[in-house]
Amino acid sequence: MTVAGLSGAGSRALGDRLAGPALLACTVVAVGTLVAVVGVLGVETGRFLTQVSPVRFVTEVDWLPVAEEPRFGVLPLLAATAQIAVGAAVFGVPFGLMTAIYLEHYAGARAERVLTAATALLAGVPTVVYGYFALNFVTPAIRGRWPGTEAFNALSACLTVGLMILPTVVVLSRSALKSVPPALMEAGLALGAGRGRVVARVLVPAASGGIVAAVFLAMARAVGETMIVTLAAGNQAQLTWSPLEGLRTLTAFIAQSSLGDAPTGTLQYGAFFAVSAVLLVVCWGLQASGRFLASRGRGATAR
Amino acid sequence: MNAPTRRRDTLGIACGAAAAAVMAAFVLLAVFLLGEARSVANPAFLLDAPSRAADRAGVGPALAGTLWLAMLTAALALPIGIGTAIYLEEYASRNRLAALVGSALAGLTGVPSVVYGVAGLALFVRGLGMGPSILAGGCTLAVLALPTVIVTSRVAIRAVPEEMRLAAYSLGATRWQVVRGEVLPAAAPGIVAGSCHALTRTIGEAAPLLVLGAAAFMTFAPHGPGDPLTSLPTRIFAWTTRSEQDFAALAAGAGIALLLVLLLVNLAALAVRRRMRGGAR
Repeated sequence: MTVAGLSGAGSRALGDRLAGPALLACTVVAVGTLVAVVGVLGVETGRFLTQVSPVRFVTEVDWLPVAEEPRFGVLPLLAATAQIAVGAAVFGVPFGLMTAIYLEHYAGARAERVLTAATALLAGVPTVVYGYFALNFVTPAIRGRWPGTEAFNALSACLTVGLMILPTVVVLSRSALKSVPPALMEAGLALGAGRGRVVARVLVPAASGGIVAAVFLAMARAVGETMIVTLAAGNQAQLTWSPLEGLRTLTAFIAQSSLGDAPTGTLQYGAFFAVSAVLLVVCWGLQASGRFLASRGRGATAR
Repeated sequence: MNAPTRRRDTLGIACGAAAAAVMAAFVLLAVFLLGEARSVANPAFLLDAPSRAADRAGVGPALAGTLWLAMLTAALALPIGIGTAIYLEEYASRNRLAALVGSALAGLTGVPSVVYGVAGLALFVRGLGMGPSILAGGCTLAVLALPTVIVTSRVAIRAVPEEMRLAAYSLGATRWQVVRGEVLPAAAPGIVAGSCHALTRTIGEAAPLLVLGAAAFMTFAPHGPGDPLTSLPTRIFAWTTRSEQDFAALAAGAGIALLLVLLLVNLAALAVRRRMRGGAR
């Protein structure tokens, strides 16, 4: 559009009179809805915590929401979520970071095209399809190797969530590597260091802020992941370190036991909101620490 | 890029091996899905209703539900989200409140989808009395997509060079004329790409719909927003939890149907972007 599009005095006045209020209305609706989302979580969590003491909620080790004498100790769920997130990062981060390094500093044009497309496609796969893959491919493979493994186990979920977060790690750490000035590479090579040495000793440390942020963001996604853990990790709310046993994460509790039929106002209904609030706090904590560490990392390289 | 010491060192070999492993995982996933879905590869599968007999089951109602949900989500989230982005970038004054709204929106993009399901259960299913309907599902998914639509659209609008605005203002254009005539056409490809990303992410979500109470077993296709909630992702979930082998094939088939829907949305967005680029000249 050029100057020609700027004529027409009548439509100009009308358009200008309507546009501002209409756009403001959009903003009010959007912000209002999102405030309602956070608000309803806060209100229902508050109501739940008047019935179940907050101290017992975060210190008890039994999660038995539908027992005759229900117990609401969130620790087993929280520990399971941490285990899945850390496990997924153990598998996903090294492969993701090394793939990013390969893409940025070693791959030829064709390998780069194919790999970029593959990671984009992996990022587009719905998590319920990953869950299907975990239960029907990964779990049988693990049980073939370790026959004592339970049908629902943490390892299968960790591996598959690791695959799911991989595209996030690849894309974000690659853009961190891209933002390092190319002069650093040239300087390193000019000093006679090999490419691998320059990448490992200079470029990756220089990009470390962005890479750490990528890891935290990927872990936040793993914490919020629901369908893979619901399908593959089972529903036993227990404190266990064995990756070959089943466990139940915060998200899996919500997905498995709600199915929309818990009556409003009951303790079980309140538990969904309290668990959601815990999830929210964990995810926001991970995001904020990622941003904080990233900003510190960047400051260090600028000096 | 083309330094003489290319690809021939330990780190390069190790990273190449890692990349090959990622590629292998991708191929494995694709081949496994296609192989499992082999037995349901016929057109009737896309139209038939689910059945207790695995050999007569199809994804018809679930597919219709997902198309309804996609339309509702797009109709609600895109105008409101893009409108909000325009307001925040072009109209709102840059004060503390605007900064607060901006960082709150960024934080909301990282909220797990299942949490939106819990909020949707309280707000739409129970609060507004929509029940576990397509409408409640569409509203919940729209709220889930909203922060991403706003954040990506804002990035696209912010990328438009300030000179374009100043040039139009200096010719006497009003604010809305600048937005409509200059900013939006320039930002459109980015807005379409971001909206497409948000929409495809949301269409594939199963968790929030499960929380709302998606019908486990629907034998008729939904005809409108008031009908019971059903969708491809929740259908896949229901079939995956059945232990019989036949149902695993159905789940894989439904997974491929879902991926085809997502592919169509992506192609549509691509076509829109191409047309815009043509029309801009």
